[in-house]
Amino acid sequence: MKQIIAIIRDERVEETKTALETIGVGGVTFLYVTGRGQQKGTVSARELGGTLNRNFRMQLTGTECATTPDSSGGEIPRDVFSPEMEFTFGFLPKRMLIIIAYDDDVEPIVQAIVTANQTGRHGDGRIFICPMISAIRVRTGEQGDKALS
Amino acid sequence: MKMIWAVIRPESAQRVITALDSAGIGGMTRLHVTGHGREMGITLGSVHYTEIPKEMLMIVVPDNEVAKTVMIIRTEAKTGAKNSPEEGTIGDGKIFVTYVEDSFAIRTAGKTLGMSNA
Repeated sequence: MKQIIAIIRDERVEETKTALETIGVGGVTFLYVTGRGQQKGTVSARELGGTLNRNFRMQLTGTECATTPDSSGGEIPRDVFSPEMEFTFGFLPKRMLIIIAYDDDVEPIVQAIVTANQTGRHGDGRIFICPMISAIRVRTGEQGDKALS
Repeated sequence: MKMIWAVIRPESAQRVITALDSAGIGGMTRLHVTGHGREMGITLGSVHYTEIPKEMLMIVVPDNEVAKTVMIIRTEAKTGAKNSPEEGTIGDGKIFVTYVEDSFAIRTAGKTLGMSNA
C-alpha cells in the first residue's frame, strides 16, 4: 500500500479529477495549501494574464507605467510588461492530493496526474510516493488491503 | 529522500521559512491546521480550547539534508531567546520525519532526487 501525495496547480484540479475518474480511482482527498518551489513562487506575466491589473503591476515593479496621451488630453498607461517578465510572490495557492493505493496502481495514477497537470512551466508541482502501513475502513472496521477495495 | 512534517506556531512560521530559505531549502508546502498536544489544549478563564491554530510545513529533502533542516526548524520555532540552551514553551510544535520512496516533478515528468537537481 502506498500513499501518493501530489501538489498541483489550483486551476488543474478539475482535469485531474476527470483523469483519475477515468482510470477508476475513487478515493482522493484534496487539501487547500500554499506552496513554493526552488523559484520561490515565481509567476511570469504571461501566466498572470488578465488577472494582473495595472496598479498592481506598478506596485510589483516599483516603476511608473509609460503613458500615451489619449484623445481627450488625459493619459492612458501603456503596457510596459513583456510576457517573459517574472514576479515573485512567495507562497502560491496550490492543491494537495492524497491518494492511498495498491502498489500496482501507483504507476498509472502517477501517469494520469502528470498528463493532466503538465504545462512545462515552473510550478507544475510534484508527486511523492510514501509507504503506507495499513488502512482501516471506519464504517465496517475492515483492515489492510480490504479497506481500499 | 525524507518527508518532514513540522507543526509549528503560526507566529514563528515566517522565521522558519526565511531561515530555511537562506540555507538553500526553497521548496515547501504550507498548511493551516488546528490541533492540540498531550496537554489537551489550553484553558483561558472558563473556556477550554482544544483546536489551537498551528501552521504545518511539508518539506521533502535528500537524506543528507534532513539533520540540517530539522535543526533549522528547531532553532527558529523554539520560543524564548534564540540559541539559548533552555527549553521553549509548551505548544512550540513537533517535527515528524517519514520516508519518501519516489518523487516526480510534473513539469518534466522525470524522477527527482530531492530538490537540488529538479
